[in-house]
Amino acid sequence: MITSLNRIGFRLFKKWATNNHELNYLFWECTTRCNLNCLHCGSDCSKSSLVKDMPLDDFLAAIDTIENPSSDFIVVLTGGEPLLRNDLEKCGREIRKRGMRWSMVSNGHLYNKKKHMSMLNAGMGALTISLDGMKASHNWLRNNESSYTKVMDAIELAAGSPRLNFDVVTCVNQRNINELSQIRKSLINAGVKSWRLFTIIPIGRAVKLTDLFLSDNQFVELMDFITDSRKMVDIDVKFSCEGYVGKYELKVRDSNFFCRAGINIGSILIDGSISGCPNIDRSFSQGNIYEDNFNDIWQSKFVNFRNREWLRKGSCTSCSEFKDCQGNGFHNWHDEKQNVLVCHFEKTKNTTVCQQAI
Amino acid sequence: MKNKLIRKIIGGLSLTSVLFVFQACYGTPQDFEPDFRIEGQVKSKSTGLPIEGIKVSIVDYMQYEFTNDKGEFSIYTVINNDMRISFEDLDSTNNGSFLNRDTLLTNIQDNIYLDIKLESK
Repeated sequence: MITSLNRIGFRLFKKWATNNHELNYLFWECTTRCNLNCLHCGSDCSKSSLVKDMPLDDFLAAIDTIENPSSDFIVVLTGGEPLLRNDLEKCGREIRKRGMRWSMVSNGHLYNKKKHMSMLNAGMGALTISLDGMKASHNWLRNNESSYTKVMDAIELAAGSPRLNFDVVTCVNQRNINELSQIRKSLINAGVKSWRLFTIIPIGRAVKLTDLFLSDNQFVELMDFITDSRKMVDIDVKFSCEGYVGKYELKVRDSNFFCRAGINIGSILIDGSISGCPNIDRSFSQGNIYEDNFNDIWQSKFVNFRNREWLRKGSCTSCSEFKDCQGNGFHNWHDEKQNVLVCHFEKTKNTTVCQQAI
Repeated sequence: MKNKLIRKIIGGLSLTSVLFVFQACYGTPQDFEPDFRIEGQVKSKSTGLPIEGIKVSIVDYMQYEFTNDKGEFSIYTVINNDMRISFEDLDSTNNGSFLNRDTLLTNIQDNIYLDIKLESK
């Protein structure tokens, strides 16, 4: 009874939120340069990106078109590695001057004490750092022998701040699926309060490496691990919003699955393209800040994002869960867009082993 | 106002209080923490000239910044009822030599500007 009520209520909420499409969360792909060369990179970034960083003034001109930004509006700096920009503090302060919040996704390599302090002083309110396993498996995925040590230092630094809304994210793959308990323990020891787990979908550089993708059984192990971990009080563990997970909804997250790309989440990409999340197929671009008024595009375009009936195709055609799933995370629709790349719901059904906590 | 009311009704129906808190798959958490900006300028009491290199610290939060060549500083920090700000001259005799000073801020509601004058040693 409660589950049914919850589902109905949440569907109503989604409908209302979609109609309202209030922009709360804006990614800014401020650089595509990166100091790492990760095996799973969805952006296919490189150290010597030929694409220039977007000038701050160009980005500010775009966000200045937003009429009455929501009170919880946040700009999320992403890349590439944002810390490679030498004007981040200025970027942050300009965003704060406009009454908006800002945050950053980082690989943590350049996040030292001095940078931590200058970011906080410039008004950074949230931070996410990636840790992809214990030392060997993290360094393997990050393709760098010193990465683990640097990232753990950065994590301890960020976790010690009473100001930051800080979390660690982990890409779960074949190499680290059996280390999750160890990782959890090391994060708790480092003072981390929030840990988000996600899987890797076959886009960008990840396509070529089969070690990265979990089997269906391993995916269910992951769901059970998160379910068990959520009973702990030391750390808040959750599955990312990457996909609909059927019976595990509300067991692995605080709220039901809702892909908000193009509904509450937008992005300004390195070339000025306007889209949903940065990991969404770039052909979904809705306009460009160098040609269009950003606010006009947000208000009047994004039709494919806000009406997802067109995703009833491929394996979604006759799926009984479509009303709650709506074609899974939007980033799962690439290239010809004839079928969903990954169906997490299907994975939860295909398990053939007894479910065991890791 | 209408939006807020609808938010409450839908939130109640779905029996969850976290509908409006979210983060993108590859993004960061949102930030709802109330904070404020404390900024100002540090000058010499005797000459009136700005002092560079003074360490300005929010004592309880271990947050600090050094004044620039115009004696200016600007720090975003969490709101607290009482907040002690310290001003320390740590660079020996560079830019002069000044006595340290503490300032207690109370009942902070909004951004604040401080005009600080340090006495010479």
